[in-house]
Amino acid sequence: MKDTPIETSPLTPRRVTACSSAGRLSARIIRPARLADAPPLVVLHGISRNAGKLARLFLPEAERTGRTVIVPHFPADTWPDFQRPSKAARPDLALLALLDLVVSECPDISGPVEILGHSGGAQLAHRLAMLYPHRVAALHLVAAGWYCLPDESMPYPYGLAPGKDAFSASWSRRKAAALRDFLQIPVCVHVGTEDVIRDDALRKTPALDAKQGPHRLARARTYVGALNAAAEAAGVTPRARLIEMIGCDHDVVRAITQNHLAARVLDARAALS
Amino acid sequence: MTLAETLDQAKWTFVTRCVDRARVAATDTDFAAARPGDLILAHVDRLGQHHRVQLPSGRPSLIFPGDAVVMACGARYAPDQFEGLAEIGPDCADLLAGGGCIGRMVARNSRIKPATRLVPAARLLDADGQAVNLADFALVPRRAAPRPPVIGVLGTSMNSGKTLATAQLVLGLRRAGFRVGAVKATGTGAFGDLNEYSDSGAHYVGDFTDAGMVSTYLEPLDRIRTATETLIAEAGHRGCDIVVMEVADGILQRETAALIADPWFAQLISGLVFACADAVAAVGGVMHLARLGLVPDALTGLVSCSPMAASEAGSATGLPVLTRENLSDPAEATGFALRAGLGREKAA
Repeated sequence: MKDTPIETSPLTPRRVTACSSAGRLSARIIRPARLADAPPLVVLHGISRNAGKLARLFLPEAERTGRTVIVPHFPADTWPDFQRPSKAARPDLALLALLDLVVSECPDISGPVEILGHSGGAQLAHRLAMLYPHRVAALHLVAAGWYCLPDESMPYPYGLAPGKDAFSASWSRRKAAALRDFLQIPVCVHVGTEDVIRDDALRKTPALDAKQGPHRLARARTYVGALNAAAEAAGVTPRARLIEMIGCDHDVVRAITQNHLAARVLDARAALS
Repeated sequence: MTLAETLDQAKWTFVTRCVDRARVAATDTDFAAARPGDLILAHVDRLGQHHRVQLPSGRPSLIFPGDAVVMACGARYAPDQFEGLAEIGPDCADLLAGGGCIGRMVARNSRIKPATRLVPAARLLDADGQAVNLADFALVPRRAAPRPPVIGVLGTSMNSGKTLATAQLVLGLRRAGFRVGAVKATGTGAFGDLNEYSDSGAHYVGDFTDAGMVSTYLEPLDRIRTATETLIAEAGHRGCDIVVMEVADGILQRETAALIADPWFAQLISGLVFACADAVAAVGGVMHLARLGLVPDALTGLVSCSPMAASEAGSATGLPVLTRENLSDPAEATGFALRAGLGREKAA
């Protein structure tokens, strides 16, 4: 996947590295000179792993809004899989360790964080929130390829129906245990109206296409509907909304530079609370 | 050698760690009057099961015949080792536990050696002539402290996996971002379990010795219950979000049985882990707990080491069987915290 070339800021965010049983994880941290009383925003890249570019794009908006922004980087050599906790990798453990490290250095930002994830990063973001809802203040999911639906309409990992093996069953049990808390998290799902290409990176199976939709736009609509339906079924006020970015495809850089995604997300605190 | 010099050179054992040694002003030899918790100076006579005592610093110390050791008079119930009473003979006593419990052994497991023999030298007294007792240094109950939710850990027997389960759940909860207290409600004072809790990152660690008892064996239920509440309140005072509480021995042991049969226990806990050795023990234990109105959230312990045994236990009880790795996994541990009410509202 290619991103639109951009002009970047000469400022360099600080880097930290956290260690966990899952492996090392580094991140860029943007600490504005004037700090707002708001949770930090964790920005998770997709399979293009463009953490540096995302940090540069978010830097001016972080400075403008006073929001601390944390941009982890999952390198391909050490994190070939990072989109979801699995037998192969536990990016959730690495992220928890990273957050603990950041809080130890910046006690003023203890507490739940907001998370923005693009594409594969959006997959990780919503799965992280399903497992650890107490650590997440709000979710901004940008064009995930597919979702773990908050119901039993599909087997794990596409939904919460127990899978065939014990491993899948344990993961669906864990997420089900946290479901009610997860459904209380404000969720904004952003997707481009032109994000309808069934590219090589998009997972395609007959069951997934049938249940979640043929492309990312359709799947985002399905997910928001499923979230709000699950919330109502659980007696929780529905808090998911869909934001369709007009004329935008799957390019996150274009979403930030042309559709003002970074500014919208960092300014959205009042709307989400 | 003066009393002060003798006490200074003696090995003070782990259970005396909260004692203000300056309180000791005199001694007597009225051992017949010794009560549980009274401090006793004794000399090592003949080594038996225990070749070491545990020091307040958290390390074991070799002991040799002739060594002077300060311990607390107490009873012990340990099916894998000894049963002993809080009684001190005029010229003979037994080292019932390396943590520093001196008493009289009345039964022992046939697979272990006789107890290390001791010669009592003195009962330690304060300036008023009263026996210095561990209870004098017990935690003061913090009645205004917030009471964090409690996850109970019970088991079928000694060495069924309770301590490991407690420590691993502490680790999982800490990794998930919670401040965790680890409490041992019953048993005999020793540093092994507490060290394991600390090593797992517990923010607060306490046991019944902090509440003034060397051992809970043969102690009144009211005293154990009050001590448990004191420890939980202390964890709340230290800022813990949640407490993992181990109850020693098996669920049929005298004090444990009384404690869990008390309706107070069911109200105290917000979650329950049950450690068992095998599938049959799991089924029997779960049925027994059900009669008391207690339903475990999960099974663990030795049974979880065998996938086949775990499958049998899980099928027979309908409960998940969690390994040590599962318990230390924050994704699993978070479920315990959320069920205990530490959800988003609490985090916010």
